[in-house]
Amino acid sequence: MSVVEAVSAQSTASENLTDEAYRDAMHRWLHANLPAGFRSDSAAFAAPTLQQSVAWEAAMYRAGLTGITWPQAYGGHGRSLREHLIANQEIGRLAMPESVNSIGKELAGPIILAVGTEEQKRRFLPAILEMRNIWCQGFSEPEAGSDLAGLRTRATRDGDGWRINGQKIWTSGAYRSQRCLVLARTGALEDRHRGLAMFAVPLDAKGVRVRTIKSIDGRESFCEVFFDEVEIAQQDAIGAPDEGWAAAIRVLEIERATNRMYRAWRFENELRHLISACKADPALSAMVANRHYAVRLGEVAVEIEVLKAHVETAVEALVRGDKIGARGSLAKLYWSESHQRFAALALELLSQASLPQKAAIAVARRRFEAIYLQARAETIYAGTTEIQLGIIADRILQLSRGK
Amino acid sequence: MSMAEGLQPDEFAATAARAVTACAGLDVREQAHNLAGDGLLGVVADEQVGGLALPLGFAVPVIAAAHSGLLTFPLLETILVARSLQSSLTRLAAAIVSGKTLATIAWQGEAGAARDGGLLVLSGMVARAPGAACADYILVRMSGGAAALIPTDADGVVVEEAAGLDLTVPEHTVRLEKVEVSIGSILPAGTWDLLNSDANVLRAAAILGSAEACLTLAQEHASTRRQFGHALSYNQAIRHALARQKLALESIRHAITRSLSGEGGPVQRDAAFLAAVTYGSSISEGALQIHGGMGFTWDVPVHRHLRRIRSLQAQGDASGLISTFGRRYVSEVAPFAEAGA
Repeated sequence: MSVVEAVSAQSTASENLTDEAYRDAMHRWLHANLPAGFRSDSAAFAAPTLQQSVAWEAAMYRAGLTGITWPQAYGGHGRSLREHLIANQEIGRLAMPESVNSIGKELAGPIILAVGTEEQKRRFLPAILEMRNIWCQGFSEPEAGSDLAGLRTRATRDGDGWRINGQKIWTSGAYRSQRCLVLARTGALEDRHRGLAMFAVPLDAKGVRVRTIKSIDGRESFCEVFFDEVEIAQQDAIGAPDEGWAAAIRVLEIERATNRMYRAWRFENELRHLISACKADPALSAMVANRHYAVRLGEVAVEIEVLKAHVETAVEALVRGDKIGARGSLAKLYWSESHQRFAALALELLSQASLPQKAAIAVARRRFEAIYLQARAETIYAGTTEIQLGIIADRILQLSRGK
Repeated sequence: MSMAEGLQPDEFAATAARAVTACAGLDVREQAHNLAGDGLLGVVADEQVGGLALPLGFAVPVIAAAHSGLLTFPLLETILVARSLQSSLTRLAAAIVSGKTLATIAWQGEAGAARDGGLLVLSGMVARAPGAACADYILVRMSGGAAALIPTDADGVVVEEAAGLDLTVPEHTVRLEKVEVSIGSILPAGTWDLLNSDANVLRAAAILGSAEACLTLAQEHASTRRQFGHALSYNQAIRHALARQKLALESIRHAITRSLSGEGGPVQRDAAFLAAVTYGSSISEGALQIHGGMGFTWDVPVHRHLRRIRSLQAQGDASGLISTFGRRYVSEVAPFAEAGA
């Protein structure tokens, strides 16, 4: 039976539920429908194919688990940010695969909602939620990693449309995407942040070439994307030419604080999995019972509680109508570094397992060795740790740079 | 109608800050009188003992302001003792709330008890009792989670100065040599755990206040102190260090907020205290470092906050708590089984 066939298509979108009833509905649906093979804390785990991921995420959408706060007019479920948090808590509590379209749902979609035309909202947004269009993010370039204002990919006017030339790099998932959210320069390089525009570039357009890059975890999800005289229609320009950067920053600030809101609860799922695996192993069960590792595991648990506090505080602030501003950098810095510490502890523990290796340890090693490697990217993408520290110093502390 | 209606905890921050400033230079009993006049000693105590009957969250900005301003009065202990006594020792609780009677808590150790007719005879040593030298009563822990209120002028009570770090509200050791107390002075089993759980939230608030003061001092210093032709804050190493301190500070603040929210329970309260200890130490030590050689001088007040934070860490037995916290977490997870993974 395919994932889609296994899924009840009934949506909760139109139901008026209390928070607890909503949580219960999301919890029950996820537990009833997440295939055992998708669970990375299961011996039955097998990394889902792209087709399986697309089907699963489309089913999640129909069940009301994605597009939660998006307006119903554009395919969303029109629910509150607090309900978005509740759904994400339930998503986090299960060891399910990461979305293959997180850029569509958490970056491109919100930007289009903020500055897109009515036609763009109707054309792009339902396609993202229904998983008909997977998006990737074309921001970084070989000469513009952290310093996006130095990007060189150029968009020039060409009749009623645009012509794009340049190169993007470290573009996760471009090989599987239909659209790329491209940030391109319309003015001079010296203009820095001014004169940057955003485009929804179809990756099957003539002149687009995608080449995968092997990453440290052995996967080939990272890509380079080359644009050679790529013609783009005006209707695929997102926002006004000079508005692109400002709009991106506004949305990125919120997204930095709220995207993958399930993280703290997923980290908790990981911690519980690690402990459960250790308790199934003769040597490790003794170790996690002793003071040294009890303290270190306790420290991880405290950090997870603090991360939950960061997320919930951000949600409450947004619900009150406060601006998040640069505060999103606090949460991003916190989760990325604490997850790396946790992943290193997991490896350290699992490396001391008994021989012959128990099935529980094999499952845990497969999961945590992958997490450890992938976590190295977490202090790099979405603004490196150094960029986040700079944002906090400049915009939150407003430290003087005076000479 | 509850007095909490229409009030917000943050509104107490300004009142508390003013009250703390007004206490500068006063002796402990004068401070008690002033703080009582502002309603701060009974912020969480019942109205029948003269308190404001507000939730614990209202004590958070009060304690943070007290520690930020280096108040030389055991406010955290006073607030908690007053509430602990409000049901069984009503008149005494009212006297504490009014500032007429001073009380503190010995956070370390347990008193041994033997029954003698209608009295209990307490013996042993307890410690980490802030401001005990000036207190009229000391609440001490007994075995089984009960607590006893002991008059400091009772026969057999010896309050001694302890070699503690805190200069602001110094800790004392208390020797109990066959001290007779009435059964009515014994608070029931469970009292201590409740008291300590609330104390963990307020200790986190205290550390928040001290840490915030340290970060402010460090930030001011980095903006005004010039080296190599620039303000210190011109240097990325300094900017990033201060940014990390800000992250640590907001982590304490959010953890406290969560511990008092609908999501909050004993785990979240413990986590707030443990996070505050880790981050508060890091912020105060980092602030000292930013000050360079000046940071090591007596006159720069960063060390006073650092001393307080380390004392609060010990009063809450953070080392024991993190071990208990981790063991509890580990014990609640079942061994891996495919079906229940």
